[in-house]
Amino acid sequence: MLNLLATNHALEDQLRSRVHDDFNSFSDEAESEGTDSVIKEISERIAKPTFPGSYFYVADSNGKRLLGNLKDVPIAFGWQRLPGTFADKPAREPAHEVWGQGKVFPGGYFVFVGQDAYRVNVAENTLIMSYLGSGVLAIVAALAAGLLLSRGFLSRIDAINHTSQSIMQGHLKQRIATRGTSDEIDNLSNNLNRLFDSNQALLDSLQHVTVNIAHDLRTPLSRLRNRLEEIQQQSGLPPRSKQRLNEAIADSDQLLATFSALLRIAQIESGSRKKAFTNISLTELAEKVFAIYHAVAEDEGHTLVAKIAPDIKCLGDTELLFQLCVNLVENAIRHTPNGTEIILRIKCPATLEVSDNGRGIDAKQRSKVQERFYRLEQSRTTPGNGLGLALVAAIAALHGSSLALEDNGPGLITSIALQPI
Amino acid sequence: MKVLLIEDDVAMVPHILRELSVNGHQFSNAVDGQSGMSQALTGDFDVLIIDRMLPAMDGLSIVKALRRNGNQTPVLLLTTMGGLDDRVEGLEAGADDYLVKPFAMSELLARMNALARRPHINAVQTTLRVNTLEMDLLRREVRRDGQLLDLQPQEFKLLEYLMRSDGRVVTKSMLLEHVWNFNFDPQTTVVETHMSRLRTKLDKGFTKAMIITQRGVGYRLVA
Repeated sequence: MLNLLATNHALEDQLRSRVHDDFNSFSDEAESEGTDSVIKEISERIAKPTFPGSYFYVADSNGKRLLGNLKDVPIAFGWQRLPGTFADKPAREPAHEVWGQGKVFPGGYFVFVGQDAYRVNVAENTLIMSYLGSGVLAIVAALAAGLLLSRGFLSRIDAINHTSQSIMQGHLKQRIATRGTSDEIDNLSNNLNRLFDSNQALLDSLQHVTVNIAHDLRTPLSRLRNRLEEIQQQSGLPPRSKQRLNEAIADSDQLLATFSALLRIAQIESGSRKKAFTNISLTELAEKVFAIYHAVAEDEGHTLVAKIAPDIKCLGDTELLFQLCVNLVENAIRHTPNGTEIILRIKCPATLEVSDNGRGIDAKQRSKVQERFYRLEQSRTTPGNGLGLALVAAIAALHGSSLALEDNGPGLITSIALQPI
Repeated sequence: MKVLLIEDDVAMVPHILRELSVNGHQFSNAVDGQSGMSQALTGDFDVLIIDRMLPAMDGLSIVKALRRNGNQTPVLLLTTMGGLDDRVEGLEAGADDYLVKPFAMSELLARMNALARRPHINAVQTTLRVNTLEMDLLRREVRRDGQLLDLQPQEFKLLEYLMRSDGRVVTKSMLLEHVWNFNFDPQTTVVETHMSRLRTKLDKGFTKAMIITQRGVGYRLVA
């Protein structure tokens, strides 16, 4: 590139100095010998063409062309770059330029001396082309580098997103791959990985505590139950003692049931069940619940109605969604007055809804009933552990949804919008 | 029935063994995984009752090892963990049934009996027969004394399970698990409701009741 630039400069200098030399010698000649002598020499020079060509033009004081191998030159002083309009030859392709200098000589003659600038032009064009060429090349190279860099960058961001999502979906052991380059992304990845580690440690300890509680408390509880059962089987017990024993066994069963429900909620909240998600038919699930429960509702003095849209599918855990649906229907059966109509609905795209025309739940209490052990005043006399809706809420959350409680005017609507397929 | 109990809970073992003996079963027992495993491989048992958490070798590993060895003795797995995945893990390892501690002894015996008498090779049956009660599994029809009964699908499923139980006692939780696939305790009278409807239809016009309630234990179909 620099080479080309230097060549171009050299060629230009050469051209200019040749024009200067001619011009100065003509000026001197005109001073000493008169303009006629100059005109004579010019006509001689025109007759002996040189290469690269020297060009001349002479006009009289009226601006009329006298001679020259250029067709037409504007009467102007100083340097000019003219398109080559040669008097002797047809226009050349590519068009040659003539660079030169003109001035008025004594006697009013306008003299122009020039040189064919073809070579300078070629050099110039080459230079421009090479500039353009290298410019384009540079842009292409820059774009390619940028693309590569950004693709690398994006793919790493993508990897972070992918891993985070996978962890949220319950694959808790996954970590973001690092390159060991200790750049910003690597640092970010390392920090996130540490965050995931501590998250995992917390979950592990929760799991550990849960399992320990399960083992350490259930074992003595089972022994207690076994002993009570043993005594119960002894003959000759007074009926009152037998009655008390039965109550004690029922109490221990209730204790264990509450305990199991709590463990189950904890396990659902850990998110590990997301691994077991499959495509399931909400339509079939609700039809099964309806088939089992319409008779149960009837026996309890209620009417269970099914309004189930066909072919509704969603992503989820069949076993848990079945329990969710059963819990909502059982809640409606247990906590509404006789003669209540309960509707089990599956709606497009994938909403499960249980509504009743019973007493409903006060707006202020609606979020509280989803808390563990919260029981409404009106339900305190009904057996139950206050964990039913907490379990439903946990299952809904596992499915990326939430339990919505609304007024049915009168009654309650409970619904969960699931992820349709 | 010959039963092997592999259980390390010292308070639990005598309790279970006494129950087995009272009910006329023969039994052996082991208190750790390894000796339990070798007894299971050498002895000829009708049922193995294996605790999931054991010293030396855990219950799941024993079941897996037995199945790998081609030993198909029915296994009832006992556990203190009532977790969601635990039951699936147990069944996938090759156990035949799963019981969460604590349990009533009657529950253990009912499940043990169900396992022991389960036919090893499931012959394809198209008709079930208990006394004069006849169930056509292909046509989904039930007749008592040749008289067609109008059963709802839920009642049909319930009766089928009772008939396949061959006069043995089935507990409420066995019915919930096997007839309706409940892996949790419902808060309403699911079993009682369907049982009472089935009974009404089954015994209508007959003097002899076909389903007996065994208080505190479960139900039984009489021949």
